[in-house]
Amino acid sequence: MRRRSVGIGFGALACLCAGLTVTWPGLAQQGHPLTGTWTGDWGSDTIHRNQLTLVMNWDGKAVTGQINPGPDAINLASVLVDVTTWNVRIEADAKDKSGKAEHIVAEGHLDDLGSYHRNITGTWHQGSATGNFKIVRD
Amino acid sequence: MRRHSIKPIWALGCALLFVAAAATALAQDGFSATYDSAHQVKLQGIVTRIDWANPHAYIFINVRDSIGTTNWAIEIGNPLDLEHDGWKSTTVHIGDSVTVEGNPAQGSHRQAFATSVTLARTGAKVFVVAKKPASVAAKAPAPRWPDGHIRLGAEPGKKGYWGPASASALVETKAANVPMNAEGLLRNFADADKVAPFLPWAKAVYEYRQRTLLKDDPLLRCLPSGGPRQFQTPHGFQFVEQREVGRILVLMGGGDRNWHFIYTDGRKQGQPDEVVRSYYGNSVGHWEGDILVVDTIGFNEKFWMSNGGLPHTEALHLTERFSRPDLNTLKYEVTVDDPRTYSRSWTGGWTVQWVPNEEIQEYFCEENVESTFIR
Repeated sequence: MRRRSVGIGFGALACLCAGLTVTWPGLAQQGHPLTGTWTGDWGSDTIHRNQLTLVMNWDGKAVTGQINPGPDAINLASVLVDVTTWNVRIEADAKDKSGKAEHIVAEGHLDDLGSYHRNITGTWHQGSATGNFKIVRD
Repeated sequence: MRRHSIKPIWALGCALLFVAAAATALAQDGFSATYDSAHQVKLQGIVTRIDWANPHAYIFINVRDSIGTTNWAIEIGNPLDLEHDGWKSTTVHIGDSVTVEGNPAQGSHRQAFATSVTLARTGAKVFVVAKKPASVAAKAPAPRWPDGHIRLGAEPGKKGYWGPASASALVETKAANVPMNAEGLLRNFADADKVAPFLPWAKAVYEYRQRTLLKDDPLLRCLPSGGPRQFQTPHGFQFVEQREVGRILVLMGGGDRNWHFIYTDGRKQGQPDEVVRSYYGNSVGHWEGDILVVDTIGFNEKFWMSNGGLPHTEALHLTERFSRPDLNTLKYEVTVDDPRTYSRSWTGGWTVQWVPNEEIQEYFCEENVESTFIR
């Protein structure tokens, strides 16, 4: 009974995912290219990755937002985008597990501007650690 | 596959004229993003399938070459336009031999837009769309309701709808002349600054959309086109004034064949935070003399508000003014206020022609979605 229930749920989820895959390209957010929720990760190698969720919003003067919204959210200090190159620089101030301040600087490039799946890839600096990152707009 | 360059200058001229007509017909269907107007293809083959569906009718032909047989999808136009000029799905039959000349699809897909289709058994050119101008009613004053208000729809006992717009895209009125094609693509890229008072990010996005030939246009995926664009989409629109309930129903004949209300019952516009965001927004209207003034907020960011790719944000606020100086003319003027996208408010507009004695026709953008997959 339990297994059957899980199977139906998985099937439905698979159908939903398939449907979303088909329809997503048409549901792109067509306003400011950075507005929206972005997910991905950063890390110094392919094994040790840190999950990232960025929420950004253009208010007409600046892009504001948070990294990993929730109880441990980090407010974005600044988001700069060069619209001639679509290079993006994101800065924020976080704290490590011991409570020590860590400055975050992410520098990347916005690709696939017109696509729902536009993405930003580049270099992520957090405290003394450096790695690469990729975030894709949900 | 047989590709030939058509060298004579007259042939090139004819082809360019045909492409211009095709672009008009396909204004909502991304001609430039789909087809390569700089090249020609000539194909001879046997008809294997006829797909007579909106927005594009196709014939499929088997073409033999040195490698073997390949099946090509040949786009022949919009079924409504073809039927208007007397062509039917039975004009050609499966098994007929045809010669097709046209523009190949971008890339290496086996698809082409036909500039001519010649039927071997008769030698006749078929599916030629004359692009006759829409019929025009005799000059007459704008019709009015018994209380003197202008009627935006047809008079009692008559038919008609609003058809072709005088402009292909929204441009700030003071920009005067900004040449564009029927899809809203700038003839001169340097004119982008004249189109609207863009913020830097918005200009960059607009230019990106122009450079990429509007390939990401949501309308190509049959999504609704809110804002000004709903009044310049092929196949027209209609106003149904429901005065007894204080609202005007706007029916779209093209695009995704949608509808929305303009409330004229005196209600106040909502606050932006209260309004559920949508493609057509929340519209309230009132009459100022013979002008219907419509205030709309609450747009989502999932559409392009004009042909050509004008961007906007959720902060978009439109003030539209509709007037009917005579029976045949609807004057449309819109003031765009979106401080997150434009450096100031700006105004543009166009006129729309009345098509008498006809109703908007049945048209479903997604009817042949399967056939439109480039193979």
